[in-house]
Amino acid sequence: MSTQFLLITAVAAPLIAVLFIPLIGKFSKQARNVLSLIAAVVPFIACAILAFAVLKGDSPEPVLFFGLALKADMLAVFMGLVSSFLSSLIILYSFDYISHYRDQNEYYFMVVLFLGAMMGLVFSSNLILLYVFWEITAITSWRLIGFFRDREYVLKADKAFLVTAFGALAMLIGFIMIYQTTGSFDLAAIKENLKTSPIANLAVLLILAGIFSKSATLPFHTWLPDAGVAPSPVTALLHAAILVKIGVYVFARLFLATFNMEQFWHTVVPVIAFLSAIISAGAAFIETDLKRLIAFSTISQIGFIFFGLAIGNEMAVVGGLLYILMHGIAKAGLFLCAGIIEQNTKIRDITKLGGLIKTMPVTAIAFLLCSFSVMGIPPFGGFFSKYLVFSGAIKSGHLFITAAFLVAAFMTILYLFRVFNMVFLGEARSPQVKEASPTMVFTVASLGVLSLISGILVWYPYKFVQDAVWQMMGMVK
Amino acid sequence: MLSLFILLPFFCLIAVNLPVKGARRLAFWLTASLFVLQILAVLLHPSVFWGMKEDLFANFFAINFSVNNLSLVIFLTIGIVGLVSLIIGKYTLANRPDRFHFTNLLLTALIGMNALALLTDLFSMYVFIEVTALSSFILIAVQREKTALEGAFKYLIISTIASALMLSSVALILLVSGSTSFDVVSAALKASSGSVFVKLAVALFLCGPFIKSGLVPFHGWLPDAYSAAPSAVSVLLAGIITKVSGVYVLMKLVMSVFGFTPVIRDILMFAGALSIVFGALAAIGQKDFKRMLAYSSISQVGYIIIGLGCGTKLAIAGAALHFFNHAVFKSLLFTNAAVMEQKLGTVDMDKMGGLTSRMPFTGMTSLIAFLSTAGIPPLSGFWSKLLIVVALWTSGMHGYAAIALLASVLTLAYFLSMQRRVFFGKLRPGLEAVQEAGTGLVITQVALALVILGVGLGFPFMLKTLAPLKNILW
Repeated sequence: MSTQFLLITAVAAPLIAVLFIPLIGKFSKQARNVLSLIAAVVPFIACAILAFAVLKGDSPEPVLFFGLALKADMLAVFMGLVSSFLSSLIILYSFDYISHYRDQNEYYFMVVLFLGAMMGLVFSSNLILLYVFWEITAITSWRLIGFFRDREYVLKADKAFLVTAFGALAMLIGFIMIYQTTGSFDLAAIKENLKTSPIANLAVLLILAGIFSKSATLPFHTWLPDAGVAPSPVTALLHAAILVKIGVYVFARLFLATFNMEQFWHTVVPVIAFLSAIISAGAAFIETDLKRLIAFSTISQIGFIFFGLAIGNEMAVVGGLLYILMHGIAKAGLFLCAGIIEQNTKIRDITKLGGLIKTMPVTAIAFLLCSFSVMGIPPFGGFFSKYLVFSGAIKSGHLFITAAFLVAAFMTILYLFRVFNMVFLGEARSPQVKEASPTMVFTVASLGVLSLISGILVWYPYKFVQDAVWQMMGMVK
Repeated sequence: MLSLFILLPFFCLIAVNLPVKGARRLAFWLTASLFVLQILAVLLHPSVFWGMKEDLFANFFAINFSVNNLSLVIFLTIGIVGLVSLIIGKYTLANRPDRFHFTNLLLTALIGMNALALLTDLFSMYVFIEVTALSSFILIAVQREKTALEGAFKYLIISTIASALMLSSVALILLVSGSTSFDVVSAALKASSGSVFVKLAVALFLCGPFIKSGLVPFHGWLPDAYSAAPSAVSVLLAGIITKVSGVYVLMKLVMSVFGFTPVIRDILMFAGALSIVFGALAAIGQKDFKRMLAYSSISQVGYIIIGLGCGTKLAIAGAALHFFNHAVFKSLLFTNAAVMEQKLGTVDMDKMGGLTSRMPFTGMTSLIAFLSTAGIPPLSGFWSKLLIVVALWTSGMHGYAAIALLASVLTLAYFLSMQRRVFFGKLRPGLEAVQEAGTGLVITQVALALVILGVGLGFPFMLKTLAPLKNILW
């Protein structure tokens, strides 16, 4: 099988499956669920095979139609692997979670469409194609946040759509500015054209507005906690593991892999990231709604990723990219645990929960393992990514900002222990609660275990990401 | 035989009114096939037809027809929107005589609009603008309801002012150039471009299409007319009548007669930007579904005008494409409105809620139409707005480009509010018995949605293959 074909399969499989999901859903729920899962597993397998190909130095670049091309380099394959893997797990979890709600066909339609758009975005080598997929993810996220159709839920969905659309339009102006200077929307051509000079500051600012709005970074972060009204697998999928990483990915793709920005942005972006990280960590401290709390934690952690990427030396960037994987696994696990808790107890207020470790031991352990990873406790996966980001930053001499981020990291430990303490320890408030269905528990347990394994076996993803960074920055192996 | 575009509707009009048994019953099918023929003539582009130079009708009346790529887009739009309007009319106009009058007037308007797309003479253009306008006054009031009569009256008065301005301008131009055909006038205007007299004439004539297309600040009549008219007529007004007799006339005049002088470009871009922002802001405050769509129309026309004002090849292509796209998605939205009106008996959005669960097709198609209006990829509206914005930006109009782009957020805002109040949400108590529209309307909606999706997804392909688009750009 040629790698070009694999690449097209990775993008097209979900997009084609999407057409059949509502139709098949009319006849058989089972078949629809299986089809959705296949639609997520196929891209994962395709990406996995592609990973070996790109490691050998292959970079397939099929031209789709009319000059719009896809391209798989190591960065893209890494991102594709992470997203399709987490999506598969989350879809598996959805089977039981969503089975007693209305509009299930729409749910699977939107989730798989989202995955397809995500794969397309990751592999596009053209700014317009990237923008198209970027906005498709916004549409699906809007429908999914408002999934339960209550008025205030839909209002929050509208808010998310408007904020991200505003950012995206600002970004589009930035893209047009790049088009004007280089005469092309194609990333390779842009790279060729902008080899020596950094791009205009206004363009950087506009593109950053788009990236920050999608990745829920200060000052565009408010939609993310609100988006917690979505079904929990959606919150895990969109608002923790994958969707918010789009902005991070595009940051790496544009500012690290394609063109340079002026030197001072390498200070400005970490400062914004820091403010975002510390303020949302503070918000996570006082928040009592479980899902909002985890959402604030997401905003805070994304600050760390931007920090690593914006520092821009090899070690920090490797740390930042590795962070995408580690945080994706751990935060998806946390949200899915929150989903189990919410569904079984019907309570989201952590002050009213307690003692759940007795009735839901597996969920509790999974929650703890994922928390350890987010906190950055060795030997969990999150430790290594955080460590790399920090030591990369110190290497470039950003001592103050690193110290400041250490405070934020410390706060992460505190608020996650607070949650665990309030929800799982202490007196049992609702003793009749049982553990969720086996599939759901299996999913969260495997995410918890993965958080640990990804730390113990960190060498493999580390090596891959390091190669990706070398390729991205044009260094010699 | 370009005159067939005028003659066929004319003969059709006579045929259905013949005092023969059954002629009336044929009216619908005859008119529908006429629209289908027009669509096919553009899409298949048979060279036998378009290549025929000899034109008896035109020779007889000594008028000149010319067809360029822009007029092909117009013919296509007229065909599609006319067909949609005819179908909606068939299903929503309850009264049989009303339906027949509607078909007759539609044919009259068709004659007027097709002629406008063909003509190259100021005075004959004025005549056919009047033909179109007169039939639309009556169309608005075809059911003789009080609000509709009021809307029609308002439109009539303001439209007459526009006509008076245009006619006096034609008189002035005749004094300067001695003829009203485009070539002569254009040359004469160039020769005496400095004179105040000419400037006055140009200004007067431009006021006409400005009023007709409802650009801010001449938009007062438009929301009343659109919302008071039966939905079938609203489709027609929003999709083609105001667009052809206002926007297209403006495009044609600026492009081939008055030329892109700096003053005209500034006026167009300013009026366009003003309409975009004002229309969108006003739409946010509406609670009447059709009034909201009317204000949205004002806003979207702004995009066409701002593209025209930019004047580069890319911008004109974007404007032409947006002309087509707007006609399609606005027709779809008005079809949705027609369904609401028919099934709920009201277009007040505060009385609706959660209707997607009751009418899935209407809900989903309205979603596609609104996303396209807001310029969200990968739907058709995105591409036309992108072309316009890229053209504006690359020709240095950064401010206008930013306004045009960021106004999309406003568009998104009012449509999200519409979706929230009407379709997306919990079903409002009391609406449990609402049914999906009849098959005819559902098919129309789905077909229009497919056009939007198709143009959106296949846009890059279309740029290079579809005759009218291809030739505008390359």
